[in-house]
Amino acid sequence: MNKTFRLVFIGLLVAQSLALYLFEGMFPVPFLTPGAKLGLANLITVIALYLLPSTKDVFLILLLRVLLSTFFGGGPAVFIYSAAGAAMSFSCMVFLKKIGRNNVSIIGVSAAGAIFHHIGQLIAAACILQNAALMLYLPVLSLTGSITGILIGIAAHYIVRHLSSLDFFTARFTSPSAPNNKNSLQKSKAL
Amino acid sequence: MFKKWDFIIIAGLLILSFLPELFFISSNAEKGHDNYAEITVDGKIYQTINLSTHKGIDSMDIKTESGYNIIEINDHSIRIIDADCPDRICVNDGAINSPGQLLVCLPHKLMIEIKNDDPSETTDIIPAH
Repeated sequence: MNKTFRLVFIGLLVAQSLALYLFEGMFPVPFLTPGAKLGLANLITVIALYLLPSTKDVFLILLLRVLLSTFFGGGPAVFIYSAAGAAMSFSCMVFLKKIGRNNVSIIGVSAAGAIFHHIGQLIAAACILQNAALMLYLPVLSLTGSITGILIGIAAHYIVRHLSSLDFFTARFTSPSAPNNKNSLQKSKAL
Repeated sequence: MFKKWDFIIIAGLLILSFLPELFFISSNAEKGHDNYAEITVDGKIYQTINLSTHKGIDSMDIKTESGYNIIEINDHSIRIIDADCPDRICVNDGAINSPGQLLVCLPHKLMIEIKNDDPSETTDIIPAH
């Protein structure tokens, strides 16, 4: 893959996910439970996971987004919560995508990622407050998380479908090291 | 767009998310919400005493760098009966027996707090958003 193209693309995705994260933070929480949120920033992570050939790049995007959002929108406490959520959700999504291959779609990956984001955040909160009873929030949070995750997944499905038919991705991403991208290309052609 | 395994994974995770609920219900049934007196010296836990199961009168000496406190546990309540601190506020505070109550001896950095397993009976927690 072209080095400059990779840098620019990663930079764009980081900027977009940071913007989505801050945008989301401007809204009051539309659900009853504290901690429930739309997870708009996860949209970019999911898209990157399906478009970029290297998982390391996706990790880089996520790491940069978490660090930058700490500077822009929070403090050390926010960093711990989002890092824990991001780490859990990222490893879950990478795992599912690898294991699932053609059996699990981008929607399932996104929803599972959302649920594991909440698991990570609750574990972090339970450790900080030293109160394991916080885990009792999990059913409510995973329910809202799966709903928003499915919606984000549907959005990501269409974005990936349209993006991967662009010339950049057909010309520069169909290297042997990018079998996933080929898959999504075939998918988009089939659809 | 959707695939069969998507639903299986999501449904599986939703069911798994009830695990903590089950775990807490079973562990709370066993413990039965006992009250504990947690004695800390200089922020470190010195001793934890189960007050709910305690019967009779016991007393114990706690010697710290700065002096001594004598504690008396009478059935389910705990108090400081003597201390060589200058103000003796801890002694004058009397006995405590319900979750959230505190006995503090500032000169000796000694604190006795009554805690409970059941999160609904202890001090309120305001969740951070």
